[in-house]
Amino acid sequence: MRLAARLPRALLLPPLLFVAVVVAAPMLRLLWEGAHPEPGTAALTGQPPLTVWGVWADAHLRFRLLWSLAQAGISTALTFALGLPVAWVLARHHFAGRQWVLRLLMLPFVVPTLVAALGVLALWGPNGHWAEPLGLELEDTPWLLVIGNVFFNLCLVVRAGVDALGQVSASRLAAARTLGATPWRAFWRVEWPAIRLPLAGALCLVFLYCFAGMGLALVLGGQRWATAEVEIYTLVAHELRLADASALAWWTVGFGTLLAGLYASLARRLAQPRRADRVPTRPVRGWRARSAVAAALTVLLATSVAPLVATVAWALADVPGLWAVWTAPETLDALWNTLRFSAMALLAATALGLCQGLAVFHWRGAAQAGLWVQASTFVPFVVSPVAVAFGLLLLYPEWTASLGLLVAAYTLLAYPFVGQHVAQSLAALPPHWAQAARTLGASPWRVFVRVTLPLVAPALRRGMAFAAATALGEFAVSLFLSRPEWTTLTTLIYQHLGRPGAANLYAAHALSLLLMALALVVFVLLDANVGSAAPHAPPKARHA
Amino acid sequence: MSHPSVPRSVSSATLSRRAFAACAVGLACGGLPAWSHAEVPLLRVLTHSSFDLPKELLTGFEKSAGVKLGIVKGGDAGEMLNKLILTRANPVADVVYGIDNALAGKALAAGVLAPYSGPSATAPSAAILPAPLVPVDHGCVTLNIDKAWFAKSGLALPTSLQDLTLPAYKNLLVVQNPATSSPGLSFLAATIAGLGEEAAFDWWAKLRANGVKVAKGWTEAYYTDFSKNGGKRPIVVSYASSPAAEVFYSKTKLTEAPTASLNLKGGVFQQVEGVALVKGGKQAEAAGQFIEFLRSAPVQQALQTTLWMLPATPGVAAADVMRHAPTPTAFDNPSTEQMAAQTPAWVSRWTQVVLK
Repeated sequence: MRLAARLPRALLLPPLLFVAVVVAAPMLRLLWEGAHPEPGTAALTGQPPLTVWGVWADAHLRFRLLWSLAQAGISTALTFALGLPVAWVLARHHFAGRQWVLRLLMLPFVVPTLVAALGVLALWGPNGHWAEPLGLELEDTPWLLVIGNVFFNLCLVVRAGVDALGQVSASRLAAARTLGATPWRAFWRVEWPAIRLPLAGALCLVFLYCFAGMGLALVLGGQRWATAEVEIYTLVAHELRLADASALAWWTVGFGTLLAGLYASLARRLAQPRRADRVPTRPVRGWRARSAVAAALTVLLATSVAPLVATVAWALADVPGLWAVWTAPETLDALWNTLRFSAMALLAATALGLCQGLAVFHWRGAAQAGLWVQASTFVPFVVSPVAVAFGLLLLYPEWTASLGLLVAAYTLLAYPFVGQHVAQSLAALPPHWAQAARTLGASPWRVFVRVTLPLVAPALRRGMAFAAATALGEFAVSLFLSRPEWTTLTTLIYQHLGRPGAANLYAAHALSLLLMALALVVFVLLDANVGSAAPHAPPKARHA
Repeated sequence: MSHPSVPRSVSSATLSRRAFAACAVGLACGGLPAWSHAEVPLLRVLTHSSFDLPKELLTGFEKSAGVKLGIVKGGDAGEMLNKLILTRANPVADVVYGIDNALAGKALAAGVLAPYSGPSATAPSAAILPAPLVPVDHGCVTLNIDKAWFAKSGLALPTSLQDLTLPAYKNLLVVQNPATSSPGLSFLAATIAGLGEEAAFDWWAKLRANGVKVAKGWTEAYYTDFSKNGGKRPIVVSYASSPAAEVFYSKTKLTEAPTASLNLKGGVFQQVEGVALVKGGKQAEAAGQFIEFLRSAPVQQALQTTLWMLPATPGVAAADVMRHAPTPTAFDNPSTEQMAAQTPAWVSRWTQVVLK
């Protein structure tokens, strides 16, 4: 019994330890290096270092920070405005291919940033298929970056919205309507309170991704509309001005932490248990439903799918060529690496994420500690990836080219998805279900395995799908030292794009298509009944 | 007691999930490396991310030197050198390849290289680098043009850098940011050496007014902005060897390159890449053998179509495809000392003039 009481506390240890070793210590090491440079390093840069407050006195850096905040804010607002109505339509209707729409939506996550940027530019860039007929000149404007941000992040909001709307209580909604509430009023009074927390979580993530994003900002933002993270990258990787970089990094981490704290406090106030009677989905009948679904699909196609079509069309234009690229020995090696690294990262991310989610749940009652535990879920997204990568190099030079650190880097970016999904799902569990099982004589472990775990399983699988997508797409891993024998599909794509020639460009598109196909297979396996608040499956608790 | 939530029949979805979980665990375990080659010493080689040599040559070296090669890629050459400098107290490699004449001064000033006195250190070479760097290959950074674009538009090719500031050439050029790209820095250095520092920055200011586009690195410039690949700018900073690579990596057999280099006064930089021992590195003997290996005829022959550079060892036959890439006859390089002392100031002045 005592063990059972202590166990949940110990659950926080693995994620905490992981974050301390892989994030906090390297980040502090880099900041320390910035404050106390080794003699010799400072002399190479030729400029006096900035102070933390000096960042705001420098017009260029001030603009970078403010613009980073602004573009993240604009992108988040846009994904919300587009994502919520789309999510509502998808959550309330069922039609053929709905599951595939939800899966396709996640593909932007796995496509290498540069390939995605090629897709966005093919539509919106100079000579773009859409920009030119519309007479738009978006090059060197901030809008290309915002469009790219929406393309990458819309799926986070839509998926969160669809899942949350699926949990809304049908009887409450029916009661509201019977009492004369308009659909609009019923939405604000019944549905909105039930979905705002998961939505806030997704929006928080979108903001952090856009704020700390670098790859997309480098290609689409150009030199004028680049973000603070690009500036940190330039200062650290190319100019060795660690003091300036750490001064800037303090601010980006500060803003990110503020946001994570805000979300955590929201999460603790807004959590409400879910109801067993879910709103059933309707078939698409009548002109209103038809046009709503058509509009939702159009929005998704235009923002999240269209930029990928360029790549798919390019790859399929030459099927024998496609086969040749797919069966080349270097492709098979890269495919094997992608599979095994993703599998390792997924296992580690699931274990750490489960621990994190359960710890958040365990600490939900504690006032201060609970807030911190909740906020700690976002730590990997709050820190500057560049600062962490170079901090790791400084702190563990003998480990930097090791497999362990490589997988740790993948895991770091993947496990918060599992943690967040599990935590949200646990917070929504009505406590009396577990209590009922306990009354009937089940041990705490048995309750966990037989009641809690099966009930959070769908959320766990969703989190794992996002984690797998992150691992397959490996966002910032290219910052680390790499070995040729560890070439993954993404690194192979970048290798091809590092050389001239039409065959290299073609290979990049062909490999991107392979990556997308692989991701779809993984999504199908992980997330078999995606987003189905299936009306035919009786509410689970009634069996108990 | 009935199970609270397990479905009554094991659905195919559950089965596939179990299969998936089994696969995942299997992959994760099978993916763990075998810790068996502990008895063979490891030679750690740090390179930039473009390093690429045929596998047979590398395994041949491993056999003859009795070591296992641990090649570690550190990003773009500038980024790679900075990683070497940051870890100098506890070096991540024993030998480093890819430091070029633009970075040599910085590497020497930081004291991250160790002296080397093997045969190649004093052997004659087609291009030179300050000791202890041993030159391995050389090539030229220069402007490339999209032939089809110029044929279609009927616009005459520019004949000097000054032409690029004329209204006729507005919005036609894309360059890389010298702060984040080796070819970008090389091109900036060439303009300074060719025009003189003040005239060069005047030229850059005019170029800004004439709509020069600045990309982060070579890949972004070549694949998103160059008109050959769907961008709208027909002039890009690239390498003199790029037209030959265009032929080599073409989708259909080409008799003529679709691009050409455009060698203008002040627009050509000779890049010389070298290899050196890392100070504090281990395996000095094997590292020396690696240096000799890079200068050996088979590697010097192969690197022409993998690294797209020219051999440093005199007398090595040129690859056939290189006939599409004539070597520029003249170039403008600042001295190594000048580059070491002034690069940071040049880059920040360039940022001020072109970007801010």
